[in-house]
Amino acid sequence: MLQNELFNNVIQDFNAGYWELYDDPEREIWSEKFYASLGYTKNELESKIEYFLEHLIHQEDVELFRDNFFSYRRNAVSFKQHIKILDKKGSYKLYRCATNDELPVNIKSKISLVFFIEIKLEPEQDITKDNFYYKETAQMTATGSWYVDFQERKSFWDFETRRILEYADNYIPSLKDSANYYAEDSRQQAADLFFNCAMVGTPFNTEIKMVTANKREFWVRAIGKPVYNENKEIIGIRGVFQDIDEIKKKELSLQKSIDIIASQNSRLFNFAHIVSHNLRSHTSNLSLLVQLIEDIDDPKEKIGLVKEIKQISYSLNTTIEHLNEIVAIHTNKDQEKKPVKFQDAFNLVASGIGQMISMSKTKIKTDFSELNTINYIPAYLESILLNLITNAIKYKHQDRDPVIKIKSYSRGSKEFLKVTDNGRGIDMKLFKDKIFGMYKTFHYNKDAVGIGLFLTKNQVESLDGKITVESEVDKGTTFIIEF
Amino acid sequence: MSHKIGLACIIDDDNMYVNLVKRIVEAKNLCNNLMVFQNGKDALNYFEAILTNLNKKTIPEIIFLDLNMPVMDGWEFLDNFTKIKNKLGKTITLYIVSSSINPVDIERAKSINTVKDYLIKPVTIEDLEAIFLKQTL
Repeated sequence: MLQNELFNNVIQDFNAGYWELYDDPEREIWSEKFYASLGYTKNELESKIEYFLEHLIHQEDVELFRDNFFSYRRNAVSFKQHIKILDKKGSYKLYRCATNDELPVNIKSKISLVFFIEIKLEPEQDITKDNFYYKETAQMTATGSWYVDFQERKSFWDFETRRILEYADNYIPSLKDSANYYAEDSRQQAADLFFNCAMVGTPFNTEIKMVTANKREFWVRAIGKPVYNENKEIIGIRGVFQDIDEIKKKELSLQKSIDIIASQNSRLFNFAHIVSHNLRSHTSNLSLLVQLIEDIDDPKEKIGLVKEIKQISYSLNTTIEHLNEIVAIHTNKDQEKKPVKFQDAFNLVASGIGQMISMSKTKIKTDFSELNTINYIPAYLESILLNLITNAIKYKHQDRDPVIKIKSYSRGSKEFLKVTDNGRGIDMKLFKDKIFGMYKTFHYNKDAVGIGLFLTKNQVESLDGKITVESEVDKGTTFIIEF
Repeated sequence: MSHKIGLACIIDDDNMYVNLVKRIVEAKNLCNNLMVFQNGKDALNYFEAILTNLNKKTIPEIIFLDLNMPVMDGWEFLDNFTKIKNKLGKTITLYIVSSSINPVDIERAKSINTVKDYLIKPVTIEDLEAIFLKQTL
């Protein structure tokens, strides 16, 4: 018996049969696993080398094994070889046969041992092994495979495709309704890709939005390539879907941040330009005025010109106030948003300009029933309403009294405010790009024409909203704000 | 001085600037008449109207054009003016006078044939005198 207890335990768990070799008298004890691996019981075999050589070992291996075995026994020459042994079912099993010194793990034992380790080298094993790696890869990278067979008119999905699309393991994909696996706004893209691949063999590798069985939209990388038969005809498309939702969402949010930064940067640049331009026009007037004063000899005229300085200083102040207002927008946007009722904001504005409204005989129709409250900076909402309403009145049509319609509503998760007037309208072909621009007209104009819409746009955009305008000359103008 | 300029034209929406230039022109006696348009559209309307009834006395010899104006800015005026200026039967010298120091604007202006030069505000009295003088030679 084995003397080393530790070794004993190890060897029992070791999934291989072995022989213990004893001298005096020369004999071998075959381990239980040796019998079991061949399917025999102890009584069915004679545990002797002569019996083994005659009845169990394959003809081809007899000579080599006999030589190896006796060299080991007599001269302690270690060996390893492949050997085929007849099992109980009558077929040969392949073993790697080795003495303990030849094993990768050095088993220290006082007794000589010969191990018989079964080799399962059937092709079947290779496939299971490959399958294992394939499955691991598929799961770890969330990449499912699929095949569209044009001859059988069927689609095939592997387990991972089903998993990422949240379908049951036994779900059979439909070729006819395959558009439904894609998000609505991605269906055309999917159709184009598959069509081109099927017709002319253009492979694809793209990011596309799909829909799971649970109607959850998510991003996948879809890669596909045509499959040809011997006649070079396209008989199918093979490819993979990889779930890239997390990465894509991060990318999209990063892109959004970049867009915001870019738009802020452009606003900042714009602002710098405005500051420089608007201040320069005053300073250049001042400089021209000073030249004139110096140049003129008549003291009376000189005094008259000095009075002009007052006008320039007043204009400069107004400009700086306007610039302050713009700066304030970007400082104020950190003000807290809170629920504001459209009706409340409107009432406040309407009472503030009550005289203007009644003098111009303006009718204002409001409809806040669909969306009565939004989360916004109250002062901004009031300022937006004020600017749009006063604009509509200022630019009313000469033939009719102003009628202004104001409506709030939501579409999906987005909230809107629409202000429509029947005023003189704006020629969109000429002024599309200038409507929201800042003109220098406000210089000597207490009405501050040219700053209102510029401020409105800045306010809306500082809170990540959008303002658009539609207009027709003599018909009227509609502003739509997306909050 | 061989002759004095009959008619000059300012297209600018900055009233203060226009008033100051008017005074300089008067004080220095640089031209007989000065016409002013508040924006490009008004000026263009005037020139288009002249086309139907050509009278050289009503065509300015020199134009000072601002860029940043409401309704129709200087660029748009230039586009339209370039199309009709040859039909006016008189050489008109056009200067852009703007407070924009944006190199993009300056490059763009200099690439347009109609534009003789780009003056950055503030202009000086000497500048104006020199321009009017050059015109009379």
